[in-house]
Amino acid sequence: MSSPVLQLTGLSKSYGHGDIFSGISFEVWSGKTVGLFGQSGSGKSTLGRCIMRLEAPSSGYITMQGMDLARMGLRKLRELRPSFQMIFQHPEVSLNPRMTLAESVAEPLMVHKGIGIDEALKEIRPLISRVGLRDEHLARYPHQLSGGEVQRAVLSRIFSLQPKLVVADEPTSMLDVSVQAQVLRLMQDLQKETGVSYLFISHDPDVMSVMCDQVLWLDHGNGVMYDRTAFLDRVKTEYNPVAPA
Amino acid sequence: MTLLTVQDLNVHFPTGEGSVHASRDISFSMEPGEVLGLVGETGSGKSVIGQAIIRLLPTSAKITGQIRFDGQELTILPDHTMHALRGRSISLVPQNPSGSLDPLVRNGMQIAEIFIERGATKNMAWEKARDLLVAVGLVPSDQIAKEYPHELSGGMRQRLTTSIAIAEHSRLIIADEPTKGLDYHARATTARVLSDIRTRENASLLLITHDLYLAEHLCDWIAVLYAGEIIEIGPAHQIFTQPRHPYTKALIGAMPKNGLVPLDGQSPSLMAIPDGCCFTDRCSCHSEICSKERPDLIQESLNGGVRCHHPFSS
Repeated sequence: MSSPVLQLTGLSKSYGHGDIFSGISFEVWSGKTVGLFGQSGSGKSTLGRCIMRLEAPSSGYITMQGMDLARMGLRKLRELRPSFQMIFQHPEVSLNPRMTLAESVAEPLMVHKGIGIDEALKEIRPLISRVGLRDEHLARYPHQLSGGEVQRAVLSRIFSLQPKLVVADEPTSMLDVSVQAQVLRLMQDLQKETGVSYLFISHDPDVMSVMCDQVLWLDHGNGVMYDRTAFLDRVKTEYNPVAPA
Repeated sequence: MTLLTVQDLNVHFPTGEGSVHASRDISFSMEPGEVLGLVGETGSGKSVIGQAIIRLLPTSAKITGQIRFDGQELTILPDHTMHALRGRSISLVPQNPSGSLDPLVRNGMQIAEIFIERGATKNMAWEKARDLLVAVGLVPSDQIAKEYPHELSGGMRQRLTTSIAIAEHSRLIIADEPTKGLDYHARATTARVLSDIRTRENASLLLITHDLYLAEHLCDWIAVLYAGEIIEIGPAHQIFTQPRHPYTKALIGAMPKNGLVPLDGQSPSLMAIPDGCCFTDRCSCHSEICSKERPDLIQESLNGGVRCHHPFSS
C-alpha cells in the first residue's frame, strides 16, 4: 500500500470563541486503527465530525484517496461517501425510531445503489447474521432493541457499503462491560476480514490500548501521537494516583 | 451496630403483560462507614434496590422482605416518619444529575435551600453551601455558587448533587451510577470525592454501579447482580481476584484491561425468569441440574456467598 487511507495536514477548527484544535496532522493506513483520546470537550468528536464533513474545518487538508475532502463539492462528496462512514456514541438516537430494523439496515444500499428494499435485504443478509443479529430482530423498532443490538445493526449498515475508513465516536461508552467486549471484538474481526481502517474516539485508556495501534492525544487543542506503550506511559503519569483503576 | 440489613427483599411490578421481577431474594448488611457496591449490568435490578431502601419506588411496585435501618423497619414506616429520614439520615445521589437540579436556581442556592428550609438565615445557609462546594472540589466556590447548573460540566454537576446529599451528614448515602457518562478524568475525581466522604463523615455508602473500576477502587464489599438476583457477594478484593461465580468471572474477564473476552448471549428478560439458574444459557460450566433447579445463595456469612451449583473454589 503506497498511500494512507486518510491523511490530515495542519487541520484546524475554531468557533467564534477560539480554537477547538489547530495544526493536527496524522495518517491512517489501511487495516490500522488510530485512536483519538482526550477529556470531554477536548475536541475529539469535532475532529471526527470534520473528517466526516459533518462540520467544515477552518483550515488544513483532509486527503482521502488522493483527493482533498475539506474542499470537495457536494456531488463528489456523495460519490465518495460510501467509503467513509461513522458510528455514533448513543445507540438510542442512531437509528430512525419510525423505521423497522429491516428498513434501517437496507437503507444505505438503497440510497447508494438505487435498488429496492427486497434486493438490498438479500444483499445485506449475510452481513446481518455476521454481526450476530437474527431474522426475528428485523421486524423490530429501535426501542425494542438493546444498545448492543443497535450498535450491531449500525455496523451492518456501515459495512454493507464496504467502507475503507470508519470513524467510531465512543461506540461502546454507553454499553455494559460484557456488551462492550462483544461489540469491540466484532469490530476487530470485521477489520481483519475487510481490511477497514478505524479512527477510534474514546476517553477510556484501557479501550484505547486494546483497539489502537497509535493514539493521538488531544489536549488544549494540540495533538500528540503515541504508540501503544508510550500512550500507556503517559496515562500512568497523568492519571495516577487519582485514577480509579 | 449494623446500620442497614436487607433481608429477602423482593420487588416486582405488575404490568398488563405479566409481572416484572426486578429484584429477587436480596439480602446484605452494612456496618457504619462501610462501602458496599451493588454491581451489575443494565436491567440487573440494582437501582430498584436503592429506590426500595429510600422508599422512592412508584406505588405500583410490590415489595416484600425486610429493610432494617438503624433499628427501624423501613418497609412499614409511616410516610411522614420516612419523609423525616429521607434526605437527613438516608440520602440519595441520583442517577441523572442534570435532571435533578433546578435549572433556574443558582448552584449555591441548590444546596442552601436545604438549610433555609431547616430555619437557617440566608447568609448562614449560603456560607454553608460554599463550604460544601469546597468539600467536593468545586472551586472557586464563590464563583461557582453564583453560576447556574448549565454552566457546569457533567462531572461538576455530579459533584454538586453529591454535595447536596452530604449536606445533612447522612448516615447512609446511596449513590446511583455516579460515574455514568463521565470521562476518565471526571470519574477519577468523583471516586476521590466519594472516598473522602466516607473518611470525613464516617457515612456508609451504597454504591450502585456498572463501573467495575469504580467498584474495585471504592468498595469494601461487592454484591454482583444478575437478572435481579445477587449471584455472588463478598469482600471486594476477593470478587476481583478470586471470583467464584462463572458470571462474575466472565464480567471481570470482559474488562478491557483483563483481555476483553466477550460473553455471548444476553441476560434473561425479567418477565420470563427461567426455572433453574438464570445464567445457565450463557454458562460454560453448566450441567443438567442447572436448568432445573434454582441454586440457593450458599452463604458462608451474611455478606459472603455464591448462588451457583458449580462454583469455583476460593
